[in-house]
Parts: sequence; C-alpha cells; structure tokens
Amino acid sequence: MTNSVPEFEDADCILITGSNTTSSHPLIASRIMKAKEKGAKIIVVDPRKMHIASLADIYVAQNLGSDVAWINGLMRIILQEGWENASFIKERTEGFEELKKAVAEYTPEKVEEITGIPKETLKEIAKIYATSEKSSIVYCMGITQHATGTDNVKSLANLAMLTGQIGRPSTGVNPLRGQNNVQGSTDLAAIPNVYPGYQPVTDDAIREKFEKAWGVPLSPDPGLTVVEMINAVEEGKLKGLFVLGENPLVSDPDSNHVEKALDAIDFLVVQDIFMTETARKADVVLPGASFAEKDGTYTGTDRRLQKIRKAVEPPDEAKADWDVLCRVGKAVGGKGFEFASPEEVFREIAEVMPIYHGITYDRIEKEIIHWPCRSEDDPGSPYLHKDGFAKGKGHFTPIGYKPPVELPDKEYPYQLTTGRLPFHYHTGTMTRVSPSLTHEVNEAFIEVHPTNAFEIGVKNSQVVRLTSRRGSVNAKVIITNDVKKGVVFMPFHFAEAAANRLTIAALDPIAKIPEYKVCAVNIEKIEESEA
Amino acid sequence: MEKFKKYIKELFESGEIEGFLGIRKNGLHPVPHLFTPEHPEELETLTIPDVRYPMTEILLTIVRKYPDKKLGIMVRGCDERALNELVKNQKILPELIKHIGIACSADLAASCRCAQPYPEEIHYGEKVAPVEDRSDIEAIDTMPQEERFDYWMSEFSKCIKCYGCRNICSMCFCDQCTLEDNDLIATGQAPPAIPIFHLIRAFHMAGRCIDCGLCEEACPAHIPLRTLYRKVRESMSGFLGYVSGTEGGEKDPLEFLGSEGYMVPSKIDEK
Amino acid sequence: MEYRTVLTTCTYCGTGCGLLLEVMDGEVVGVLPAKTHPINEGKLCIKGWNAHEFIYADGRLTKPLVRKGDTLEEASWDEALETIANKFAEIKKTNGPDSLGCFSSAKCTNEENYLLQKIFRAAIGTNNVDHCARL
Repeated sequence: MTNSVPEFEDADCILITGSNTTSSHPLIASRIMKAKEKGAKIIVVDPRKMHIASLADIYVAQNLGSDVAWINGLMRIILQEGWENASFIKERTEGFEELKKAVAEYTPEKVEEITGIPKETLKEIAKIYATSEKSSIVYCMGITQHATGTDNVKSLANLAMLTGQIGRPSTGVNPLRGQNNVQGSTDLAAIPNVYPGYQPVTDDAIREKFEKAWGVPLSPDPGLTVVEMINAVEEGKLKGLFVLGENPLVSDPDSNHVEKALDAIDFLVVQDIFMTETARKADVVLPGASFAEKDGTYTGTDRRLQKIRKAVEPPDEAKADWDVLCRVGKAVGGKGFEFASPEEVFREIAEVMPIYHGITYDRIEKEIIHWPCRSEDDPGSPYLHKDGFAKGKGHFTPIGYKPPVELPDKEYPYQLTTGRLPFHYHTGTMTRVSPSLTHEVNEAFIEVHPTNAFEIGVKNSQVVRLTSRRGSVNAKVIITNDVKKGVVFMPFHFAEAAANRLTIAALDPIAKIPEYKVCAVNIEKIEESEA
Repeated sequence: MEKFKKYIKELFESGEIEGFLGIRKNGLHPVPHLFTPEHPEELETLTIPDVRYPMTEILLTIVRKYPDKKLGIMVRGCDERALNELVKNQKILPELIKHIGIACSADLAASCRCAQPYPEEIHYGEKVAPVEDRSDIEAIDTMPQEERFDYWMSEFSKCIKCYGCRNICSMCFCDQCTLEDNDLIATGQAPPAIPIFHLIRAFHMAGRCIDCGLCEEACPAHIPLRTLYRKVRESMSGFLGYVSGTEGGEKDPLEFLGSEGYMVPSKIDEK
Repeated sequence: MEYRTVLTTCTYCGTGCGLLLEVMDGEVVGVLPAKTHPINEGKLCIKGWNAHEFIYADGRLTKPLVRKGDTLEEASWDEALETIANKFAEIKKTNGPDSLGCFSSAKCTNEENYLLQKIFRAAIGTNNVDHCARL
C-alpha cells in the first residue's frame, strides 16, 4: 500500500475494486465504514455484489476481466472534463502525451460495450474520484489475478497520477495483502529475481554485496516462480522442492497438473503445522510451530513491522520454524545459520536491507514503523511518494484492453470467478479445524444467477457438476442476484471441491500471477444418486 | 499508585485473596493480567489506564476453572454492575470475590457517557460526577417510526458477523447461544439475517445489560449497539421496574420465560 | 493458577490487527482484541476472535516424518535433517543447483522467509525461490 490503514478514515472518496473488503480485510472495511460516516463517498466496481457493495454510494458490476477498459474510460472522461491535476502531471510525471493518446479511443460508448458499465455511471465515478480532495484506491486479487494483472495495476497507478491522488495522506493506490505476511515474505525476497529489499540478483554490485555478506558466490540468474517450478518438474528439470507452510496442491491453479508434478518429483520436503494435501506427498515432513508458539515479525499490508510473540510451547517435538530452518541451513552445509533467536536473524536482515535498515526489535516495541526506514532516526514512511517517486518521475504507461485468455463458448458457456468467504482463510488448513468457523460454513458452494439456475434447471441447494477444460468438481448451488448473469462464483477454501481444479494457469507475463478470476466452465445438474 | 500496589500485596500476604485480576503494562499496551502471590514482583507493572477490558468476562473464564479460589478483581462502576448480575445469576459466589474499586477519570466517564463511573467502595482514584446523557436514545425516539426502522436496518446491514458484541460481553454467559441456532439464524452469511440477529441479542440483553458499552467499542461496523440495549434497559426499568446491575436478591423478571424462550444458564456448583 | 495475556499480531490476513492471546496454565484459551492497537482499536473479525482455535486442533504435526516406501514414518530430527542433506547434495551434484527450488511462505515470519531464501541462494546456489503471494 502506498498509504497506511488508519488513513482510510479521512479520505473523501474511496474507490474499491476487486476487493471483497468485509470478507477478506474486515478491519480495513471497518475504517472504510468510518470514512463513510464522516462523509466520504464509497464507490465499488466489482463483478460480484458483495457486502461492501451494498454499503457503497455507487456500485457497478463490470464484465470479468474488463478493468483496463473502464479505467481508461475514466481517464478519458477526466481529461475531457478538465478534472486532471495539471500541476502534478507537469512536475511529478512523464509520458502524459502517450497516455492521452492511448485512452482517446476509450469512449464511454465503447467502454460500456466492453465492460457493461453504463456511461452515466462511469462519468459520475470519474467526477467523484477526480474532484474529491483526497481519493484513495483500494484493490485486491480481483485486480491482480488476471493474465492482465500488471496492466490492471498500472492502469490504476495511471489514474491516481493523472488526478494527483497520490503522495498525500488518505490518497494513493492501496493493494490489500491477502495473507498475514505476503508483504514481508516479498520484502524478504521469497521471490526469484531479487535479494531481500528488492535488490536485483542480476545487478553485479548488489550481488557482490550479498556475496560478501553471506560469504559465498551467488547465482546471477533469476530463478523460477511457483507455476514455472511446477512446469519444470514436469519437464524433468526440477528434481527437489522444499515447501514451507504452503499448500500448493489446493492453492495453485489447475491443481490436477500440480498433483501430477508433485507425484513425479524426486524429492519433496514439506514444513508445516498440519498434514496438508501437499504434505501427504512429501518424502520428509518437518513439524513447525503456529503463530502462538514462536517469536518473529510480520510486515502488514501497509508496510508496518509488527511482532508476534510466543505464548505457549510448540506441541511435542515440533519446533519454531526459524529454529528448524537454521538446522536445515546447517545440515545442507550452509554458513551463517548460527542464530540463537529471531531477533538475531532480524539484525542481519536490517544490515543487508536498506529499506529495513533503521528498524530494530526495540523500536517496534515502542513505535509504529512503516518501511522504508533507512536509519535509526528515520521515523519510517506511513505514506509513500511524498516528494517524488522512487524512480524520480512517475511514469504513465499507455495500456490497451485485452480480453481474458479463456472466453465462454458453446461448450463452456459460463464464466467462473473465485474468492474468499469471511469465515475461512486460504486453503482452509487452519480455519477448517476451527469449530466456530466451520459452524458457519464448511462446504463448497457455487453462486448462480437466477436466470442461469432456471436454464440449468436447478433449485437452491441442489448439487451441480462444474467442468472446465482442466477438471471438474461438484458443489451445491446458491441462487443469488449478487452475481451477474453468465458469471458464477465459487470460494476456493474447500479441498474436496477445489475451485482450483477448474481454474486456468494462464499467467500474467510480468507478475506471473495466474488468472484465477476468469475461466470458462460448464454447469450440469446431477441426479441425487450421483451426488 | 504505590499505596495501591502495597494494598494488593497486603491482601496477598494476609491470604485474603489468592489472585488479583488487574491490568499490566506491556510495552506501550495495557493488558489484563492475573497477579498472584507467587509473583509479587509483577505488581511493579500494575497500571490503571483509561482503557477498559472485559474484566468480569475474564473473571468467569478463571472461575470456571478455579471455582474455589478467593480472587480480587479491579472493578469500575460498570464492572461492579456486572458482578452484581453475575451473583444473582449464580455464576460467581460473592464471598469469594473481592471488589478492588477504581473510580474512573473524568475523561473516561465522559467518553463512556457513564451514569455511574465509580463502584461502591473506592481503593484508587477520585469520584467524578456521573454523566447523564440520553441524547442518543432521544435522537432515535423522535424519528418517525418508518425512519427509525430504516435507520436500524441500515445500521444492522453493516454487521460482519464477528460475534464481537457477544464475545466481549460478560452478561453473555449462556451455555448455548441462540445467535448460533441454525433454525433461527442461517449460518454462513455476513451480514447475518437482519434484523433478527440483532433483535435476538437485544431481547436477551433485556434484564441483563449493565450498560458498559464494551459491545459498541468492539463493533467493527460501528453499529450503535449500546443505544439499542440502553433503550431495552430503559424499557425494562419502565415496564417491569427492574434495573439490571443493581445489588440485591431481586432477579431478572424475564427469567420466568423459562428454558423455552430464554436460555437459563447452568449454575455453578454451590459449595 | 496462571492467567496472562500475550500481545501478538493476528495470523489471518495482511491487515495486521493486534490481539491478545489469553493463556491459562500454559494453554491458549481465548482471544481478546487489543484495545490500544492502532489498526484495529479493540475490534476483530470472526477469524481474529477465533485465531486460537486451530492451535489445538487434531492433526497437528508433532514429530518429523520420513518416507519409507509408501508411508511416512516418525523419525528423529537428526534422521530427517540428514535425509534432506543427503538428497539435496545428490540432486545438486547430478543436476546442478537449479534443479532444486523452494516455495517460501506468506504465512511465516520475516525471519523465516529470510532464512529459507538464504538457504537456497547461499547454501544451495539457486534463485528458485518463490511463495504464494500471487495466489
């Protein structure tokens, strides 16, 4: 996030897209509700009419995967009406002329045709967002989990820069991080192309710095992403895999394909707290600790460093994961794994990572620190881009609309989109053993528009079979107007009816994120005996 | 404060209490803690902040496991009302629970709009004037009925079904919670069915709610729950002459509804 | 008789709410919202209120397991670590460091993510390090 969570409360306009905020980030939704009480206008653009949509001043459903088109459409209206922030564009950005050219063809009529958003609504959204004093954009996986995910995000950045709605409190472009430490694990370089702190592995000077810090020569070649590693197993190139606290068999797209790869791999190590679907396939399983059984830090969605604290011991022979990893590091012959506590590990992190350089365990006990925090007397950065962008001027990227990879056709006439419920988390490893949460809901379902339900010939609670080009699952039908005609929604928490048996592994070319939010499916009624 | 700490220490030493449920300073944050005679040094971290935790709800957690222990508990005016109600409902034995009274600061009394910001006996702090403020109830009472209905429906529609209002409430001591009854309220939906979810809770607060306001402070959707329960509390007082939280043998008049319409709590083993 | 509360950060989503784990006699028995936390200010969602429940759920892994034929069998830490060391060394020797890789975890701490990527980059010699941020 460019801005911090409490700032939402003081925004004048909050544009939410692709985020089921009350479900996935309830305490951010809480701030948004507070903002509304204080007079902010809430706009929701989402294919599903979720809870937050019902609380919005303007809600509109766009067609799946049409985000670049409506955002370009907004920018065209803003330019036509003179609502852009000319001084911000002049002083802080570059590439404006190219952007102007790129959005010119996105007339309200054309946008309505692609996105299904009425042109009057688009104009109203443009006006409120551009002319409010402080407008904030909130987005989540509904924007990023597309083959055009990077395009979508860049389009939102274009919109914020065009209107100067960035670099001030309560503005900005704010992706909500789904898992507790997505921000931190990315900061700490659990990604293939950088060292901790977003320092490229391909940069010779940086690599030398890390070679010195770690005392070994390092590879200059960027590595593979999750989906690419799965493919590499199939091609016989990847032979051994270490999985820490993840369940790719349920969380990854096209699970049948993942399952084949994990069956085929020579050697699989899984470190987890439960016997997950993935752990069952392992050659070695290492028992780790839950968040209540270890110390360490998480970095929140707004770049805020916070501690977790050990309350009780891990069960039996299980160990804190940092301890396990130090042992693994030493066992495989690594140097520099003699840490006696997470705090010692953090000291090394702060040393090699300029954006965490000024952060210590002592400081986060007493202060709220958002990175970048480059020295002990740097208070940190609740919001970014105050006086300039990291790379000097903010660059407008001209972007054209591309349709989703898999469109509905005769054989697979419906579009499937996936997401979370308020009562469960990710693949359900933790929430589906929590009685208070399973009491609420504990089985997969599929939301279907009444017209489509009539076509298929199903009633509420009847079981249907969903089939895509990759697999099929059965699930109970819930008939609702919350989804558009032609679109069906399924939560992805339930391994026995895993939505990801259906989803497509089409990747965004840059972020390598899979297109979870759109694929084509067929739905058939099945007889009771079959169900 | 030193005098206060010394007083607790003396209670430990004389054996009058075997534990003291209070608040401890943890870095920047005051947090609930059970001080014990085995660790008198922990009293150094004892603090009395302008932040309220559900002390009586925590007390119930401890008493369920240790029904025989003599415990001291830090009580403000609201906590004392809760304890009175817990005694009447036979959830705690008064002879085992020692009230260590705290008078709330003027700031806290104002932010809580508290009609009785002090307990009967005060061991720390100075009594400040009660705050008489019905403006929230008046604002809604003066609305036309239809507008009033719309107001509450719109407030309830924000609910994310966290159950925080129930979880933080020391008057929610039933063994089974009607809010989790599948036949009354469909599970798995957020917002939950409205207004039934909120009305069920409001009815159950009748004769119980001691107007501490912790529910509203815990509500992520900022629903004015306290106003709703205050209204119910006023109705109980007006129609049935019962004010929950007052000391004495008189019990909640709605208990006659019995187990059919009203979950009667199980009683703790009486010694 | 012990009752204490441990201030920590919720493990469910990236919002980073502050919560108190209620510990009674060495066991986590409940959760309270941290009233003075700047993010959640004494409020939680249903997952946060129940963040302690999974800790004691059946099926927690309690011992290292090593595959013997078709089954995973309990093993000592030494045996488990030795198996990993031998197998990784063998694969690296035959196929090079880029034939190994890891999925790190968005659910684990910063320190743990740092350690795992350091194992693969520094000890094994590959940048095949990723996690499910995208998923």
